[in-house]
Amino acid sequence: MDNIAQLKSFPRPYRTTLTTKELIKSGAAPARYSKNIGIGFATPDAAKTGTYVDKKCPWTSNVSIRGKILKGIVISTKMTRTIVVRRNYLHFVSKYRRFEKRHSNISVHLSPAMDVTDGDIVTIGECRPLSKTVRFNVIKVQKNHVFGNPRKIFKLF
Amino acid sequence: KTMGISRDRRHKRRATGGRMPIHKGKRKFESGRPASNTKLGAARVRTVRCMGGNTKKRALRLDSGSFALSSEGFCATARITNVVYNAVSNELVRTNTLTKGCIVQIDPSGLKTFFSKKYGLMVKSQELVDTEFKCSAEQKAKHLLARETRVTCPVFEGLFLQNKVFARVSSRPGQTGTCDGYVLEGKELSFYIKKMTERKK
Repeated sequence: MDNIAQLKSFPRPYRTTLTTKELIKSGAAPARYSKNIGIGFATPDAAKTGTYVDKKCPWTSNVSIRGKILKGIVISTKMTRTIVVRRNYLHFVSKYRRFEKRHSNISVHLSPAMDVTDGDIVTIGECRPLSKTVRFNVIKVQKNHVFGNPRKIFKLF
Repeated sequence: KTMGISRDRRHKRRATGGRMPIHKGKRKFESGRPASNTKLGAARVRTVRCMGGNTKKRALRLDSGSFALSSEGFCATARITNVVYNAVSNELVRTNTLTKGCIVQIDPSGLKTFFSKKYGLMVKSQELVDTEFKCSAEQKAKHLLARETRVTCPVFEGLFLQNKVFARVSSRPGQTGTCDGYVLEGKELSFYIKKMTERKK
């Protein structure tokens, strides 16, 4: 969450009027907009009570979660508001009638409402393209579920 | 076929950094057009025939737009004086280019008329005083009643008394042919004033 002064454009929250007469008078913060993404996923408290503005957050913007719901292990949280999730799977080689381990990395948008570190197991939901490679959004976190280097762990979901 | 601007993904590299094999030519539905670079001036709007027979209005020059003061629920056409800030580049500010999201200074006369009609107040020597226009006793009573419930953002009022009104453009002049927006108030106004003063330094 950067300092507002460092931003070039004022961060306007989705679906909230910032200057109504009541708000100007009281000087209070406007009522925060947050929605339920559905499919049985809980809205985090930080989304309902926080002060961040994220136009790609599934709870506080017009991004809708629809389509695939996947699970993976977090391997990198170095990008601003986006993480890399590793999904492992087995590929069947018909000649040898055996399986081989494969993985794919997905770039996933991480809302400031979620607290995620490397090694967490994360549920991600499909949404519309948010950037060149991001089509998923983090909707649930299971913290500290993976021991050791998350890039070396093979775990199927 | 030579086509200039295209909006395809085939020219970009993959996420892994590898090149994409270009196995087909540019398609018409992927084409783009040059930016409108709408400037301030006497209105000049061209109609463009787009994909599917739809039209877009490309504003090449604009001088006014519909600006809303959201706290009062008032909206009126106002002349745009100049472009004051653009998050994208200072070049656009220098050349007075109108884009979505740029901050402009607008002519305050529309808002002044609104204030005098609703509250019976006018701006004189940086203060709000009773209008010099004649109003009936009934109108005066309405004005006094309205003044009791008047809530104006202090930052906005401070600048309004100096005949300065800033607004943010929220329409896309190159797409709709209009330069409409909303008057800045409150925290947003303070934010952009800071940006403008920083730029002056």
